[in-house]
Amino acid sequence: MKLVYKIILANTLGIIIIILISVFSYHEFNMLKAKLSFVEIADTLNASFLKMRLAEKNYFLYKDVSSLQLIKAEIRRSKDMTGGMKRKIIVAVGHENFTGLVRRLDHYAEEIDKIGTSDKIGISGQDIKNRQLSVREAGRDLKLFSGSMVRLERKKVNGIISASLDGLLYFFSLAILVAIMGTYLFFSNMFRNLSRIERATNSISKGNFNKIAEWKMPNNELGSVMRAINSMCDELQTRHEKLIQSRKLASIGILTAGVAHELGNPLNNISMVAQTFLELYDDLPDEERLEYMETVLQECGRIKDIVKNLLDFSKPKDTEFRVLDINAIIKKTLKLVRNMINVAGIKTELDLQEKLPEVFIDEDKIQGVLVNLINNAIQAMSAKGTLFIRTIRQEKEDKVIIEIEDTGKGIPPEFLSNIFDPFFSTKGTEGTGLGLSISYGIIKRHNGKIRVKSKVGVGTTFIIELPVYISKEEGDGCEEDHGD
Amino acid sequence: MDAKKIMVIDDENIVGKMIKATFERDGYVVEKFLNAKPALERLREQKFDVVITDLKMRDVDGMEVLKIVKKEFPATKVIMITAFANMDTSVEAFRKKADDFFPKPVKISDLKARIKGLLEGEERPA
Repeated sequence: MKLVYKIILANTLGIIIIILISVFSYHEFNMLKAKLSFVEIADTLNASFLKMRLAEKNYFLYKDVSSLQLIKAEIRRSKDMTGGMKRKIIVAVGHENFTGLVRRLDHYAEEIDKIGTSDKIGISGQDIKNRQLSVREAGRDLKLFSGSMVRLERKKVNGIISASLDGLLYFFSLAILVAIMGTYLFFSNMFRNLSRIERATNSISKGNFNKIAEWKMPNNELGSVMRAINSMCDELQTRHEKLIQSRKLASIGILTAGVAHELGNPLNNISMVAQTFLELYDDLPDEERLEYMETVLQECGRIKDIVKNLLDFSKPKDTEFRVLDINAIIKKTLKLVRNMINVAGIKTELDLQEKLPEVFIDEDKIQGVLVNLINNAIQAMSAKGTLFIRTIRQEKEDKVIIEIEDTGKGIPPEFLSNIFDPFFSTKGTEGTGLGLSISYGIIKRHNGKIRVKSKVGVGTTFIIELPVYISKEEGDGCEEDHGD
Repeated sequence: MDAKKIMVIDDENIVGKMIKATFERDGYVVEKFLNAKPALERLREQKFDVVITDLKMRDVDGMEVLKIVKKEFPATKVIMITAFANMDTSVEAFRKKADDFFPKPVKISDLKARIKGLLEGEERPA
């Protein structure tokens, strides 16, 4: 789902919860208001009924006619109030209770009227007693009914308050739950994808252009960002390859000088054999003529090998990891740079450990690294310097170590920490400052390490560590570790 | 008159072999060496009229050979041949009193003419 829809949905859910809480609270508060206003009316009515009952008592005890008038006046007031507040009372206590109250008030009023008239006509003492009893009963009934209604409504008010509190608590719990669940459902994926992007960009900054897997990409804005990062990776990879290629071309420039010189020797040999052949042709026995021609062919073979080596090195190749013997690659590389070394007048000393375990490497790239390091060593040394190349197996960590040591001028300690940084060069205008940073990137992609030891005036040693290849039968396989 | 003696020092065997084959037919005595050290030892035993030496060799540099020969045997003519010919090396060779400098591939007839001239007292080229 697109992020913008997720945000809209999350906001809509939030708004719905707020509306629900508001409607619930509005309804509950309205109910509360109605009940409270009834309790107020009921209190007034109760007070009125209490007055009636007191007056009733006075009337029966002292035959005080004004008490009867007071009762009638209170009955009128109460009737006016129940009539006037009918709607409010019905809302609060319901129609049935309202009619119950009105009926009891009417009954009481009737009984009071009867008591009033019985005095005037002169009814027997027993009847008067009976009527007094009826009045008392009707009064008690009215007072009890209204009292019980007030108690009931107070209880109801308390109930509403508790229910409102509970309801609000439920709604808040629901809101918090929805917020947590919603955040998890809507945004956990987003956070996962963001950390994927973070990892990818961190890895790019370290020079690994590993792409984010297509199947892991969400179909939203973050997916677009991931696709953009992947296309950036492709572009960076291509540019990186071009950089390596241009660096290689620069090496080829140096190599070519050596190769041109090396071609000079077999060419001279062929030329001399041909000249001698022509000059001595008549005097040469057949077997010598054949020998001369064979020599020519051998020298042609030498030229072919030199040219092939150069072509192999210069040809851009796809990344191709293979299980290889590093000693063989060092020897092959040395063949390629032999003339560079010869021209510079430098001695080489090889100390390659026998029966080294194989490594899983891209031959072309590792050869590029070796040419680069040897070239640096040559440039650092004056004639009569010595280039040491050693290979050692480090059994403890299952690594193969390659050391390339020169007896050159060395690197000042303050430069050592920057030596693998892109564009850092100690060669001034002669160097691009890219060779070592590219070499560093290549060795890192082989899950290896490259470091440098140097002492000014003594020499520099570059140490490359490459993991030993462990076949799938032996271990968990190296391909995954090395795969680009 | 004794045959003129030529020494060839070149780690490419074919060079010595071909010079020996063609020059001996013209009456020279040619000895060939693949390394400079035994050649210099031989020079101390036997006087040679001409030394033809390669510039880049495994043991001793051709320039070093030139320096030693010109110091110890000033009368011996030295011709340098090299596949590493450039302005710098040729200037250095002449500065060290080389009698001539031939870039590889060497034309044998030119080499012959030059050696003949040198032995007849021609000056080295300016």
